[in-house]
Amino acid sequence: MRMDLMSGYKGVVGLLVGNENSSNEDRYVERLLDRISNGKLPDDRRNAIAELQGVVSESQPFQLAFGAMGFPIMLSVLKEERDDVEMVRGALETLVSALTPINHAKGSSNEVQPALMNTDLLSREADCISLLLSLLEEDDFYVRYYTLQILTALLTNSPQRLQEAILTIPRGITRLMDMLMDREVIRNEALLLLTHLTREAEEIQKIVVFEGAFEKIFSIVREEGNSDGGVVVQDCLELLNNLLRSNSSNQVLLRETVGLDSLILILKLRGSSFTFNQQKTINLLSALETIKLLLKGGSESDPGKDMNKQANKTTLVQKKVLEHLLILGVESQWVPVAIRCAAMQCIGDLIVGDSKNRDLLASKVLGEEPQVEPALNSILRILLRTSNMQEFLAADYMFKSFCEKNADGQSMLASTLIPQPYSANHAFLEEDVSMSFGSMLLQSLTLGENGDLETSCRAASVLSHILKDNLQCKERVLRIEIEAAPMQSLGAPEPLMHRMVKYLAIASSMKSQVGKSSTSENSYVQAIILKLLITWLADCPSAVNCFLDARPHLTYLLELVSNLSETVCIRGFAAVVLGECVIYNKSTDSGKDAFAIVDAISQKIGLSSYFLKFDEMQKSSIFVSVKSSLTYQSFTRSSASSMVDIEDVDENDLSEKKNLDHPILSSILDSNFVNLVKSLEADIREQIVEVFSRPKTKVAVVPAELEQRSGESDGEYIKRLKAFVEKQCSEIQDVVHRNATLAEDLAKTGSTLQPEQRVGGASDRIQIETLRRDLQEASQRLEKLKEERAKVESEAIHYRNLAGKMEADLRSLSDAYNSLEQSNLQLENEVKALKKEGHSTFPDVEAIKSEAREEAQKESEGELNDLLVCLGQEQSKVDKLSARLLELGEDVDKLLEGIGDDAGAAGGAEDEEDDE
Amino acid sequence: MSYAYLFKYIIIGDTGVGKSCLLLQFTDKRFQPVHDLTIGVEFGARMITIDNKPIKLQIWDTAGQESFRSITRSYYRGAAGALLVYDITRRETFNHLASWLEDARQHANANMTIMLIGNKCDLAHRRAVSTEEGEQFAKEHGLIFMEASAKTAQNVEEAFIKTAATIYKKIQDGVFDVSNESYGIKVGYGGIPGPSGGRDGPSAAAGGCCS
Ligand SMILES: Nc1nc2c(ncn2[C@@H]2O[C@H](COP(=O)(O)OP(=O)(O)OP(=O)(O)O)[C@@H](O)[C@H]2O)c(=O)[nH]1
Ligand SMILES: [Mg+2]
Repeated sequence: MRMDLMSGYKGVVGLLVGNENSSNEDRYVERLLDRISNGKLPDDRRNAIAELQGVVSESQPFQLAFGAMGFPIMLSVLKEERDDVEMVRGALETLVSALTPINHAKGSSNEVQPALMNTDLLSREADCISLLLSLLEEDDFYVRYYTLQILTALLTNSPQRLQEAILTIPRGITRLMDMLMDREVIRNEALLLLTHLTREAEEIQKIVVFEGAFEKIFSIVREEGNSDGGVVVQDCLELLNNLLRSNSSNQVLLRETVGLDSLILILKLRGSSFTFNQQKTINLLSALETIKLLLKGGSESDPGKDMNKQANKTTLVQKKVLEHLLILGVESQWVPVAIRCAAMQCIGDLIVGDSKNRDLLASKVLGEEPQVEPALNSILRILLRTSNMQEFLAADYMFKSFCEKNADGQSMLASTLIPQPYSANHAFLEEDVSMSFGSMLLQSLTLGENGDLETSCRAASVLSHILKDNLQCKERVLRIEIEAAPMQSLGAPEPLMHRMVKYLAIASSMKSQVGKSSTSENSYVQAIILKLLITWLADCPSAVNCFLDARPHLTYLLELVSNLSETVCIRGFAAVVLGECVIYNKSTDSGKDAFAIVDAISQKIGLSSYFLKFDEMQKSSIFVSVKSSLTYQSFTRSSASSMVDIEDVDENDLSEKKNLDHPILSSILDSNFVNLVKSLEADIREQIVEVFSRPKTKVAVVPAELEQRSGESDGEYIKRLKAFVEKQCSEIQDVVHRNATLAEDLAKTGSTLQPEQRVGGASDRIQIETLRRDLQEASQRLEKLKEERAKVESEAIHYRNLAGKMEADLRSLSDAYNSLEQSNLQLENEVKALKKEGHSTFPDVEAIKSEAREEAQKESEGELNDLLVCLGQEQSKVDKLSARLLELGEDVDKLLEGIGDDAGAAGGAEDEEDDE
Repeated sequence: MSYAYLFKYIIIGDTGVGKSCLLLQFTDKRFQPVHDLTIGVEFGARMITIDNKPIKLQIWDTAGQESFRSITRSYYRGAAGALLVYDITRRETFNHLASWLEDARQHANANMTIMLIGNKCDLAHRRAVSTEEGEQFAKEHGLIFMEASAKTAQNVEEAFIKTAATIYKKIQDGVFDVSNESYGIKVGYGGIPGPSGGRDGPSAAAGGCCS
């Protein structure tokens, strides 16, 4: 039998190896397998299996050969020779070797990887998983150890299949969980296995938690010394995070019944050990990831997410998480920067949209007397001074979260913005804890004066958070005037806003001087300052007024919009600022009212080219990526080490792409800002059309005024009319001029754009929109169909099972019928014998006999009747079910074929007779 | 967070009998009129008091639909108590009790306390199973029995608490080795540790003493 099986596989091997005739390896493996399955001497079989393990662990061709024919034989050893520990170990070890990739120096990547193929083959073997799980209950250490390794290998390569299989095995997960209490080597292996098993498998995550995973994880972490522990702690936390990620049910359980104390304990820095090795860093990062997951509350689609998030926040704050985060993120400068960033991001998540937590943060003071200062000041100092971009971003995120929908907080911060006399500005950010938040911020804002644009733009980012959606703060900061530096003696004080525009201009000019090498850096300085202006001007006419107070501002902005050496994003932002000067313009000064701005735009840039800037910006990679952002990278063993070394974004990457925006922009431009820009764009378009459709206020045409007034002399009347006509004339000239510009603009676009392109924009978008909607509908329909199919399938399975049961019933009925007949026959024989006997001895026996026969017959007839009724019922059930199955698309005949084979032995005999 | 004991419960029974509603009524004191089919399992927790001792209930509400059986069975073994629910207005949910019970006996530990609940007793006018039948079934199979309504909250507290009281009594009587967590019981502060002295509960590590 087995030899047959193997010859069947040979063809497969031949194909895979690529030659017709089976290779030496095949023949060799085949011989060993033969010895294992057919050998008579136990020792010989053991030797054979040891030898097999040896060769399989050494070379890919042997792995391949083994994979093609060895699995059934190994599995049968595992199944049938449980008592022979040595054989079982040997078989398991051979399987481990067959599944472990062997690195071939010359092996190119597109070659078949035998270990992977073997994993796939093994995972398809029926009952393989339940067999392996049952081996976990063996006493022998190696048996359990190898088994776990095999399961892990299967899980790494075909996770879904294994996840599904394990769910169908009663107590399967329980057995794996028990391994966590086993001795260390096994426990660690089991941890890894569970980590793989729980990845993106909600049901398994829940069962694992039901089995007490949280308690076990925390007890191991504690035993290993919390964050000071080794890689086991990391594995534990990775498992923990798998169990909590997007699983609010498990989060509730952790919070409500296990508690968060053990988690907080991990964040605690113990003793005076200021040294952080890489492992400790990773452990802490993993624990911070746990905090982050809890602060997210569950998957986006979960309706209970927000409630859960709030409850998590409350509990975490009660457990003093903020204090620990401040120690890690702000106070301890010896903590690795990756941890500082993660902790600060957690602080941001903790306070966003939560007034209580914001107040709590605002009330915190750090440091020791007398060197204490508010936590917010410390964070601002970090933001301004760090040499690490990621840390700046983390601190910026913190301020953004603090200011979002927090008018009181914004006002509180803005109220400290009080200009200091110039001389005081010299002590740049020394560790002067007495400095107020506002002085620190103002001082940094104006550092552009000394050429430190970088610090200035970081401060601008914080300022934009303080101003966002807060008219009161905007007005207040508008009034801030900065003294000119003493050496630039002629300078009168100027508004802070003008300073910022000046730095924007400096940043652009520096860029053109230095050339392309520093393009990207200054482009984010510009972008951040432009973002500040956009935020400031939004909905704030006095800010627009202040901006336009200096004539050159408008000119500069117009230049920036059309400057092709700027990035798409910068040009777009500048266009937005210009647009704000139109829509929020309340000025009546002819030089700077909305008309003037629109005219300037249409003359210097051209309207269509102006609007093109918006389109380009919306299509730029940054905008697109912001929209789809928030895909958190999950923290796994493989990604851990790379996340530890947070350094500034890869510089090499940047230098070559000259017209790309700095990568930090995508962090600065959150979705709120993108949405703001989008809604502004719509308003700007509308407003500009509006401006063009109204006459300027210069000429008010009131028919009554054209009449000669009573008492007005002819001369006066003529003079007045003349003046009026003159005004109108100039108006007409204006209009003609504007008309010409527009026509020119139109003509230009007409010639540059291909017809279909011109139609482009709007109709394209409409088409895309409809397509997208169609797609959505289609995929919904598909989803529904899939659901239906699953339902139908499960129904089919149900009915098939029923049919099976019916069949079994039928069989037992026919058995009963047969045995009834049997006994009837026996009875009759007995009666016959009795009759014979009776004849010779008792003459009266004939009567007894007939009586007995009658009774027996009656009885059996009754039973037979019952039986027939039963059979009839069964038949009609089967008929009904068949019909239903047919409806469901099952092949009923094929199904029933099976039934006929084993149930109808008697019927089959009849059929044969009929045939003859 | 501190409790004398923690009990794990499961809620089982046909789909639509009101399992999720019973849990929601017990944990949140709310009623949910639309049937939100449970997918897999859902979790809820609440603290109760028995014999002046705080007892934490961890409750897993399972999906009644056949297709989830293999998943939900994983929860049987580790549970100390089960609420087996039928709908008094739908006869077939009562008829299926035997098969639920068989499942439970096969997969759960033998000491699991089972409470039979005839739910929706507010719908008396549509009753299809009499109270006596329920009682009779419970008696035959050694279950505790109650009729309840997740809608009016009638007997909902009682059902969960009575089950806990029964488990508590079994602990007092020494039926369980409570240090073995596979019975679905954990000892916290002030609970009686099992014969082998509950070494690995978090509470034991914190040095809880019996009061
Ligand atoms: N009148 C009344 N209706 C109830 C009661 N309990 C539940 N229902 C209704 O019965 C329906 C099903 O309730 P669920 O709790 O979702 O049912 P389930 O047992 O959890 O069902 P699965 O999750 O599919 O297993 C809902 O429409 C409930 O509103 C009750 O006590 N009285
Ligand atoms: Mg439910």
